Amino acid sequence: MTAKRVSLTVNGRGENIAADGLTTLQQVLREALDYNSVKDGCTQGSCGACSVLVDGELRIACLLPAGGLQGAEVTTLEGLNARNSTSVIQQSFVEHSAAQCGFCTSGMIVSAQALLDENPAPSRDEIMEAISGNMCRCTGYLPIVEAVASAARKLAKGDGA
Amino acid sequence: MAEYLLPDTLAEAGEMMAAHGRSLAIMAGGTSAMRCGTCRGRRGRGIACIECAGPRLVSVPNSAYVMGIQRLGLDRLEADNGVLNIGAGVTMRNLAASDMPAALCQAARRVGGPALRNMATVGGNIFARQPYGTVAAMLLAMDAVPVFTGPDGSREVALAEFYTSGAIAAGLLTHIECPHPQGRLVFVKCARQRFAGPTVITVAVRIELETGGKVAAARIALGGAGETPLRAEAAEQLLIGEKLEAPAIEAAAAAAKAACAPADDPVASAWYRRRMVGVYVARALEQAGEGEAP
Repeated sequence: MTAKRVSLTVNGRGENIAADGLTTLQQVLREALDYNSVKDGCTQGSCGACSVLVDGELRIACLLPAGGLQGAEVTTLEGLNARNSTSVIQQSFVEHSAAQCGFCTSGMIVSAQALLDENPAPSRDEIMEAISGNMCRCTGYLPIVEAVASAARKLAKGDGA
Repeated sequence: MAEYLLPDTLAEAGEMMAAHGRSLAIMAGGTSAMRCGTCRGRRGRGIACIECAGPRLVSVPNSAYVMGIQRLGLDRLEADNGVLNIGAGVTMRNLAASDMPAALCQAARRVGGPALRNMATVGGNIFARQPYGTVAAMLLAMDAVPVFTGPDGSREVALAEFYTSGAIAAGLLTHIECPHPQGRLVFVKCARQRFAGPTVITVAVRIELETGGKVAAARIALGGAGETPLRAEAAEQLLIGEKLEAPAIEAAAAAAKAACAPADDPVASAWYRRRMVGVYVARALEQAGEGEAP
């Protein structure tokens, strides 16, 4: 079996990768391209720690065969770092103690950014739904919900956006 | 590891299916199938993978070839001439945001979290291992008809018959046709969390009332209550000609509870699921009975 050659953009940079069979986007991003924000968590789509954006939409990288991503634009947390709105979310996570062990944090922030891109003024329920695919075993979620709500308020006031 | 095939046309897909026969598995969003592919012997460590724990309808890890459907243009979502036409590749996100019947949109919204809904498809949901298949249960209550295309042309089979005959795919599932539903549709799901909670059971009902408020037609479909989504036909029969009031609702709920065959899994026990079937069938019927009689 020959590996598929796939050209895609990751965080604005063109990449040409070889994807064997059902090799996942998570494996490619973390193992071949060294984007360590893309965690190797459950590999079952249950924990959300490998959440990334594909063509601007939130996806679970461990369930996505890289072989099907010819021409796709992939953004990991490393790529989002260039955006001021992500910095505001990160700062809010710090202020609200929304990161403890940190394993879920990168996926949480990617999900939060995907939410705020679509809905700049989310309700508490909408925030809870937006991060419902991301598991956190430390915080009990409330600090994370607070952090996202606070980031949304700051961004609405124009702080940093 | 399986070879990943991505046909660009239905004709090409047909050739691949003919060439590889039973060594080819079809994958849509991958949210079920890829879990099998990535579970990496977790069973060996004593952790039961829910995909491997029971009879599977999708068998990706054992296939030499896996065919993705995303380039086949199966993401149409249309309602015309009184028929709903839902492509097999329509994602839960797109279905939830569509102008399809509200109960069907609600069912789609109760699948997983946002990232999963951007990937999981209606077609995949039809084959999902129970207790998944939330949208499939709603479609079952809507008398939906999956349409397959194979070497001998296209083949339609009513979803109810598809499930009672063992859920064997007659080719590639291209879309689901569904008469524009008459009467009232209700979808309810029992889960331990409000958002992204794994399904304990789901109940979908469609009730047509005649003048005077008596039930003229009833569909009660259960998810997570057997090896496939299933109709509670005895319960449906008990409702015909009755008003949707406590005695008839209680009798139907008891019949649905008696007829279902749920499984134990890490989400819930069979005992709990059966109890919840009774509770949620009653709740769904109460909701269907609310509002003015025609």
